[in-house]
Amino acid sequence: MTEIKLKLKKLPKFPLEAESITPDNFAGKTLDAIKKLPLYHGNENTVIGDYFSVSGKSGNVNNTKIVIDGDLSNVKRIGEQMSGGEIIINGNVGMHVGNNMSGGKILVNGNADDWAGAMLQGGELEIIGDAGHYVGAAYRGNWQGMKNGVIKVKGKVGNESMLWARSSKPANRWPMLYCGSAGPFLGTHNHGGTIVVEGDCDRCAGADQARGIIVIKGKVSRKLPSFKRIGEVKEIDLPNGEKITGKFIEYSGDHSVSKESTGKLYIAA
Amino acid sequence: MVERKLRTISDVICPFCGTLCDDLEVDVDIKEETIVEIRNGCQIGTKKFFSSNPSGHRYTKPRIKENDSFKEVSWDEAFDKAAEILISAKRPLLYGFSSTECEAQSKGVELAELLGGILDNTASVCHGPSLLAIQDVGAPMATLGDFKNRADLVIFWGSNPVHAHPRHLGRYSEFVRGYFRKDGRNDRFIVVVDPRNTHTAQIADLFIQIKPSEDYELLNAIRAMVRGVELDEKEISGVPMEKIKELVNILKTCNFGVIFFGMGLTQSLAHHRNIDAAISLVRELNDHTKFLLMPMRGHYNVTGANIVFAWNTGYAYSIDFSKGYPRYNPGEFSSVDLLMRDEIDASLIVASDPASNFPAASVKNLFKHPLISIEPHETPTSANADINFPAAIAGIECEGTAYRMDSVPIRLRKVKDAPGKCLSDKEILEKLIEKIKEKKGE
Ligand code: SF4
Repeated sequence: MTEIKLKLKKLPKFPLEAESITPDNFAGKTLDAIKKLPLYHGNENTVIGDYFSVSGKSGNVNNTKIVIDGDLSNVKRIGEQMSGGEIIINGNVGMHVGNNMSGGKILVNGNADDWAGAMLQGGELEIIGDAGHYVGAAYRGNWQGMKNGVIKVKGKVGNESMLWARSSKPANRWPMLYCGSAGPFLGTHNHGGTIVVEGDCDRCAGADQARGIIVIKGKVSRKLPSFKRIGEVKEIDLPNGEKITGKFIEYSGDHSVSKESTGKLYIAA
Repeated sequence: MVERKLRTISDVICPFCGTLCDDLEVDVDIKEETIVEIRNGCQIGTKKFFSSNPSGHRYTKPRIKENDSFKEVSWDEAFDKAAEILISAKRPLLYGFSSTECEAQSKGVELAELLGGILDNTASVCHGPSLLAIQDVGAPMATLGDFKNRADLVIFWGSNPVHAHPRHLGRYSEFVRGYFRKDGRNDRFIVVVDPRNTHTAQIADLFIQIKPSEDYELLNAIRAMVRGVELDEKEISGVPMEKIKELVNILKTCNFGVIFFGMGLTQSLAHHRNIDAAISLVRELNDHTKFLLMPMRGHYNVTGANIVFAWNTGYAYSIDFSKGYPRYNPGEFSSVDLLMRDEIDASLIVASDPASNFPAASVKNLFKHPLISIEPHETPTSANADINFPAAIAGIECEGTAYRMDSVPIRLRKVKDAPGKCLSDKEILEKLIEKIKEKKGE
């Protein structure tokens, strides 16, 4: 792998829109050309070179690795629509990291702001700290959000994560979210997404879930009344072949969407 | 005694709340150009008309703040200073627009695009969640006349029209006689769902007192029960199962039902998800009977602001022009969120008073940066502005178009002249745009 290093030189006053920072955009470019890629700062056009020092070398998309250092909590859209390669972010990162990515890997060694991995189409996003609201969610007005790929968040995910996730059996696409704990309305309008929460979860998990699996290994602050208890289980099969063992109560739902629901919610007994 | 000479104007539209009553009668003193009497208006609407008369709170000349005190300046000087502030800003916020008319609103869009700024209206803090939910699941609505003539079941969920839309009940939803509801109130069954025993709740046939911010669970349960699912629970959101069963039965057996929902539903926890569930419930009830819903819009032309912004940019509120084209994302580009993160460097507030309504922390950040206000009266926002543009009040001192809560456009009337040197919001924005273009050399 060839490596490109970016280091934030100064903190932006307004959020920097950095959708140009992807292996796809960097691939095959000289350092000078990379420094000239656009970054929006408010309504002002700036370039990567204004805010970052750039070193290293790029290769083709799939073996380009971008390592970014500095406090990027006000830098948005890193890794937007990337299709391959790798990004490692050493620090906190702003909104929309890895949104719409279809391949490759992003690792955030810190916290991520809202809409991390929104509308993910493939690839892997790993966040070592907490993530904001709408992790892996659909953007406003979209009926199909995350369609494939994996998001792993060590800490907490905020409100409405995995909103409108959609799997496809014929296309073998199984969107997955693993997280430490979760805010309210996790997996709302779920259409086949799989969510595993290691710890606790706030109210209304699986609201409007048509199908899919949500596993909560901790407590739930308020379960929706439209989920019906089926019984106790000791083993849960996930669509990617993984097995989870433990003592869980199995619920079906959301029955506000249909009387016979294939959606499942498991809460630790 | 000197006789007062009056001019009476009838069929005046009330520019206060989203009910947009169109039957007011106004007497104006011809010599003084002041309003002396209003007939047919409710208390809050009438107050607005009287507030247009010259008073210590009414601005009549442009002002600029210098060393913490205001000095009156010429229009030219004020435009010049405002243009300078806005041109040098990298992330200007244009906010308000819901209490003015549509032409001024579309000028706001033009200005935001010209500046590469952020454009937002008050839906951002009232019915924005309704718009989000409508984008997710659609919305079965009708005009208010339909409800008046047909509805035999009226539900007020998280809304209190007795205080917020006083004549709504008399004109459309409760006492009024309709074509198929000849006996008025007796032909309608009224349900109120609210955590408080409001004055609207006190005139209802059925009052469902719900725990605060647990509306989603109740809507969710009702939806499942409408589908015939037996739930495990005994009580939901503080409402006993028996009562919910009674309500479900009422919902399924009416001829024509409507839910009028207010900010009790949009601005309690769960926000747009509440509306999502309410809309889905209404959609599902149409398998059994005829059912619709309607947001109780507050500002008289907030519906217009959403419509005007949407036909110009594709989006109803929270629009960012910083890249030269409109982008939309409430949460990211909505005013309160922007201000909480201190992401702006100048603001233009049109016909609105965010300082009284926004969270204190965000108002602090608003005041940190240059603030220009276009506003007829002294408000906590305009008093803290750097430039005051005195505006004529749309619908009283100038004409224009406004959209009623059911999206019916109504032409506002002018009943009197504005005091002093006031210009209409539209004229002020037009001149500001001209000045900015001139300075930018466009
Ligand atoms: S109900 Fe609303 S529109 Fe009608 S008079 Fe009162 S304030 Fe004005």
